[in-house]
Amino acid sequence: MVSVNMRWLLLALICSVVAGCGGMMNDLNPSGSDKQAAVEAGTLGYHVGQIAPDFTLSDTLGTSVTLSSALTETGVTGAVLYFTMWCPACDVDMSSMRSSIIPAFPNVRFYAVDYECSTVESARNSEMSTGYDGSGFTVLADTDKNVLKLYQGQIKGTMGITVVIDKTGIIRMNEVYKNDRLTTALTSLP
Amino acid sequence: MNMGLFNARFVTFMTAALLWGAACLFSPSAWAGSCCGGGGGAGLLLPKFSQAMIDFSFDFEKYDGFWNQEGKYTPDPAGSDLRQYRLNTGYARRLSKKWQTSVVVPYVWNVNAYTSGTHRKEGIGDTTLNLWYEALDDTTAWKIHDLKDLKPSVTIGPSLVIPTGISPYDGMPSDDVTGRGFYRLDGNLIISKTLHPWSASFSLSYGSYLERPVNREVDYVTPYRKKLGDRSSASLSVSYITYLGSGGDALTGTASLSELREADATRDGNRIDNSGLKKDAIGGTIAYSSTDHDWGVRAVWSHTVKQDGWGMNFPATDIYTLGVNYGFR
Repeated sequence: MVSVNMRWLLLALICSVVAGCGGMMNDLNPSGSDKQAAVEAGTLGYHVGQIAPDFTLSDTLGTSVTLSSALTETGVTGAVLYFTMWCPACDVDMSSMRSSIIPAFPNVRFYAVDYECSTVESARNSEMSTGYDGSGFTVLADTDKNVLKLYQGQIKGTMGITVVIDKTGIIRMNEVYKNDRLTTALTSLP
Repeated sequence: MNMGLFNARFVTFMTAALLWGAACLFSPSAWAGSCCGGGGGAGLLLPKFSQAMIDFSFDFEKYDGFWNQEGKYTPDPAGSDLRQYRLNTGYARRLSKKWQTSVVVPYVWNVNAYTSGTHRKEGIGDTTLNLWYEALDDTTAWKIHDLKDLKPSVTIGPSLVIPTGISPYDGMPSDDVTGRGFYRLDGNLIISKTLHPWSASFSLSYGSYLERPVNREVDYVTPYRKKLGDRSSASLSVSYITYLGSGGDALTGTASLSELREADATRDGNRIDNSGLKKDAIGGTIAYSSTDHDWGVRAVWSHTVKQDGWGMNFPATDIYTLGVNYGFR
């Protein structure tokens, strides 16, 4: 009796595994090996070690922000791009940065990139309703998802992706927000 | 019909219905959040006289703001409309008089609209395996004569969530996520008591995620080990049963209050501040059962109160469920 029932369960499990496909095996049998692609120094791209693609976006007050210009401002040591969709996880990350990271790195520009807004006005509304007006972040309206594509390589975004770019335009970090890794990356900025 | 047999069957039916409602409250789907991982099915519980059961349910989960890490309710950005639909397919089978097992596999559709456009993605969610042991039976549903008539039914058992869904660690965008990416082992307890036509149930669950390595988010990253925080949930529900016409078709109404908590996650053994969450919800269920109890149909509404303090670090949602099951004797 039990063996028959176990066959049912196994069958159901196998069906679910087969039906799922995609990246499921990553989770059923997750790998801890480092598979980061080796990048060629001096190339343009979004991987760590590559040259950060330049862009110009409007902030929520209508001012144009160009990455390359921001990085060459006097005293600026780097920039952080944080990709937000104003979700609970984004709020946790941004709150953490606001309270502990932004004050500790006054020479770094912190940009929250709203990649799900259609207009500058809608990005402004989100910034205001979630309480990030005057927070230390400059909120950029990525209305055409151009910056999202440049830094995540896709038109649908992943919330919480945090990119650290040094003064010379080299990407030092590009992954989901982690307080300690961000702190390490910012501390090691030249 | 022999009234003794009818009574026994009625009690077991009521118990099963109540347990079903309680199990629904433990549904991992309550954790679903197409922006935050989720998707999952509930455990199934068989009535005493059933050897097997097949169950289909369809969930519609509508997101409406979230609670931040301080428990303050925050509306979603204007113009956004986030939804998740789930078709849960379940099969339960009796292993012996006291033991039963079940599997539930959800299929998930994420439909998330923002002012910038609408993202759609579908895929299998996380699978749930259950093993239940019916430790005590509630056999006195009609009148309390002495203390032993207060004996409730007690059902215990472990469940295992298998990460068959698309997780945040599969290189997929947030809107495509249908699962959490972690195995979780739960211990479950359900206590219920019927005193016709009323029933009450208390459910408790405690689960621990297994730590896993992560080497990929959107892109491959420097590997680390992650473990989500231990999860606990509790619920209290009260039911009332009424009969339709002169036959045995029954309608059961259930009201419930449930509470979910998850502790902070860890990365490489270090606690990730503010990564825990909580959600309180109220719910209502209307369930129909045919005279022979072979067929069951239910409508469930799980509601979160969009006010400060009813959650933390989690989306506020309403979940509407329609389900049908058929038991094999």
